[in-house]
Amino acid sequence: MIPELGTGALFVALALCLYGAVMAAVGARRGRTAYVESAQHAALAVFVLVTTCILLLVYAFLTFDFSVRYVATNTNLGTPFYYRITAVWGALEGSIVLWSWMLTLYTLIVVLRHRTSARELYPWVLTVMLSVIAFFLLVMTVAAPVFARSVPIPADGRGLNPLLEDSGMITHPLALYLGFTGFTVPFAFAVAALVTGRIGDFWITTTRRWTILAWYFLSLGLLIGGWWSYHVLGWGGYWAWDPVENAAFMPWLTGTAFLHSVMIQERRRMLRLWNLALVILTFSLTLFGTFLTRSGIIASVHAFTQGAIGVFFLSFLALVVLTSLALIAWRWDTLGAQGALDSVVSRESAFLLNNVLLVAAAFTVFFGTVFPLLSEAVRGVKVSVGAPFFNQVNVPLFLSLIFLMGVGPLIAWRRASLDNLKRNFLWPVMIGAVAALVLRLLGVRSTIAVVALALTIFVAATIAVDLLRATRARRVMGERALPALGGLLLRHNRRYGGFIVHLAVLVVAVGVTGSQAWSVHTETTLARGEQAELAGYRVRFDGLRESQESNHGKVTGTFTVVAGRGTGDRIEPAKKFYPQEQSPIAYVDYRLGLIDDIYIVLGDFARDGSHATVKFQVNRMVSWIWIGGLILTLGTVLAVLPERRKTA
Amino acid sequence: MRHRWRWLLPLAAVPVLALLAYGFKLNPRDVPSPLVGRTAAPFFLTAFDGTPVELGALRGKVVVVNFWASWCNPACYEEAPVLERGWRAYRERGVVVLGVDIQDTDEAAQKFINAFGLTFKNSPDRGGKISVDYGIYGVPETFFIDRAGRIHRKHVGAVTDEVFRETVETLLAAK
Amino acid sequence: MKPKFLVGGAVILVALGYMIWAGVTQSAVYFVTPSELTAAPVAGKAYRLGGLVTPGSLKWEPRSLDLAFTMSDGRATVPVRHKGAAPDLFGEGRGAVVEGQWTADGYFKASLIMAKHSEEYKAPHDTKESQSKTLLKTLEDPKR
Repeated sequence: MIPELGTGALFVALALCLYGAVMAAVGARRGRTAYVESAQHAALAVFVLVTTCILLLVYAFLTFDFSVRYVATNTNLGTPFYYRITAVWGALEGSIVLWSWMLTLYTLIVVLRHRTSARELYPWVLTVMLSVIAFFLLVMTVAAPVFARSVPIPADGRGLNPLLEDSGMITHPLALYLGFTGFTVPFAFAVAALVTGRIGDFWITTTRRWTILAWYFLSLGLLIGGWWSYHVLGWGGYWAWDPVENAAFMPWLTGTAFLHSVMIQERRRMLRLWNLALVILTFSLTLFGTFLTRSGIIASVHAFTQGAIGVFFLSFLALVVLTSLALIAWRWDTLGAQGALDSVVSRESAFLLNNVLLVAAAFTVFFGTVFPLLSEAVRGVKVSVGAPFFNQVNVPLFLSLIFLMGVGPLIAWRRASLDNLKRNFLWPVMIGAVAALVLRLLGVRSTIAVVALALTIFVAATIAVDLLRATRARRVMGERALPALGGLLLRHNRRYGGFIVHLAVLVVAVGVTGSQAWSVHTETTLARGEQAELAGYRVRFDGLRESQESNHGKVTGTFTVVAGRGTGDRIEPAKKFYPQEQSPIAYVDYRLGLIDDIYIVLGDFARDGSHATVKFQVNRMVSWIWIGGLILTLGTVLAVLPERRKTA
Repeated sequence: MRHRWRWLLPLAAVPVLALLAYGFKLNPRDVPSPLVGRTAAPFFLTAFDGTPVELGALRGKVVVVNFWASWCNPACYEEAPVLERGWRAYRERGVVVLGVDIQDTDEAAQKFINAFGLTFKNSPDRGGKISVDYGIYGVPETFFIDRAGRIHRKHVGAVTDEVFRETVETLLAAK
Repeated sequence: MKPKFLVGGAVILVALGYMIWAGVTQSAVYFVTPSELTAAPVAGKAYRLGGLVTPGSLKWEPRSLDLAFTMSDGRATVPVRHKGAAPDLFGEGRGAVVEGQWTADGYFKASLIMAKHSEEYKAPHDTKESQSKTLLKTLEDPKR
């Protein structure tokens, strides 16, 4: 019953989407409000229908309705309750459902928020949003039918991919997809601006919060993805430059560029064409990401199902890119800048350079990711470039970006005077230089680490200098220190929200630098009672133990880790044996710390428990990355609060 | 009209899109099988219906050996009707389809065969010896064997109508 | 546009182009099959070797962490050595991809072993849990 209901709802939603998209466009052209209102109703109905579909799917999972093939392939009778819900988006079909549901939700919010405030753009925004949803509904009904029946109905399902049985998998896709879909709204406004010819700054100011939120969720999705990789995959790292990761990282880079370049347009009326291009690029990259990971054209460790879906996504990507570029070409003559760059030493230049570097980084990631395709097409040789390529090319770019992060927010608009530079940067530059010196004296050998940390300290100092000065100005007015600081943050919440986000990025940068420079690892085989030593930690192998969980068996190794003369800490990595998998799945155990993470992976072991091979790692400063994520959340909340100050 | 060239702008995206489309022609997942081109390992089996099955006796015919299991959902469920269709269409022309059920219970396997109405011979691989001979590392896997008894192709994952037809036609055309 | 900005842009472009070129030449990894590798092995070049792990060839020394096996594509066989335990999905008769270098001593020195599995295609298992059950049984009774 559920398959038929679900498929029916999806087809009705598809029809309504197409109807609404056409009605909104016709209504806009002929100036018929009634048409647009009808489209609006269609959008609401689509939201209700897709919500119903998700609920049907959840219900099917909770009741083990194996007549739905998607349920049968992604769950079995042993799957625990929570993972039966997260299994909804555990594979391709369901993640498309989740994606479209978020799109319909966003469309609903657009209807509620911008119905009256953005009269001229609004109908076209609705057309674009509904068209995008229509595409996803088409995928859900034709290319990867989520409600396909299984014939015959199996007695038990196959079970969820064991790697997805993790709390990170609940939040990671949610955040990532909220980010991906979030960029649809600024994109829709950009297209509406192009169609109506209202290329002014209105579409940018209207979508400011949307952009920030989309960017925030995408950042969060990337960080949680790193966390999942770190504590589930058991290779000791959080980022591997895998095509799947790159796919999410590229829109993040261009989205970050867009977030900054809109400020220049708001302030100086420049970069109109650039901003349109950036938001189109970002939205296209979100589609490209899905295409890349789901079409199977690039081999990845995360092997996803391939199928007709690749062709669908590529066709839609082509449609989006070609239509957008044609619209830009059509409006070409009106896209000239009104303002102009005055000086190389100015905030505009800093922002411009930031944009160029971010787009350059996105390009190198793109280039490296599709390199196997390129070399096969051009030279007929299968060649790929791995992590060394991405690191080598991106490290200088990211270091420059961190430097600009310190310069951009404080340097003067138009033309910075020597006085302005001295006032803002004298102290931070000195502090950064001293930090570099101290790090060298402390024995930090890696030049990249020294430069990265010194730059980070420089940027932190610029933020501190700015806050101190502004707080002092308020204290002169008679306020006490803390209320002065608080008032400052709230009053100029957009500026200081941005600062806190910068601070979060710095904390992440410290984590990345530290973990790359100072992590150590070893691999060894220990007999029972024997111990190994690494970086001042001694780890002793105490034995093996077996247990039976609801849907898998488990062999756990017990290890005692002692630091210095302290008491032992017990760490229990395991191997899980899922009946539906031919190989065991490693289960990492670790102790997280502000500086040191102790991280143990159980490798091979003797069946009698006499000895076991372990990978033993001491990872440095990785926790800073996750802490950065928390700070990021704070900064974003502050930045999207309604502005108290009215003048820009 | 100035800026007539601006209409060339969309063309800038064409090379990238073409490159991505080119990707469909490649399959990065191909793992070449060491068995292709070799003589297929002989086997004796007893089918679920009790009749004997001997690969060696099928020389001169095109043989399709399919390894499956009833717990293999969805791939085995997708290809079962394909194999049955292929068997019915080509049996007159000297094609034999053999199913080898691995690591399964007889009861579940019998249910699977009945559910799809499979009419070609299906046998359980007791002890898993044949799976080892053929280097099976997952189900479904399908081997296409030519008239001389050599393995012509190994297909990993569900067989589609196109794959079945094309491979079998090639083998029938070869002398 | 002022010439300063054009010069700056050109400098960035050239620098980026150089970095990409240098990055590609230094970290290019060539996909090869065992027969392609044995046809023209170049010592020191980075390869990604894909094939099947030959049944019966796997040797694992837990004490010294020496892992040795051969990889084959039916026509050629390449001896591979690695330091460290194999990943979970690795096994004899299964597909694997190893990254590393060909050595002058006539073997492939793997720095990374990648074993792959896909979603729609399933690994064989003994009827329900038997694999883990037998393993657990041997654990309970260490004398066996």
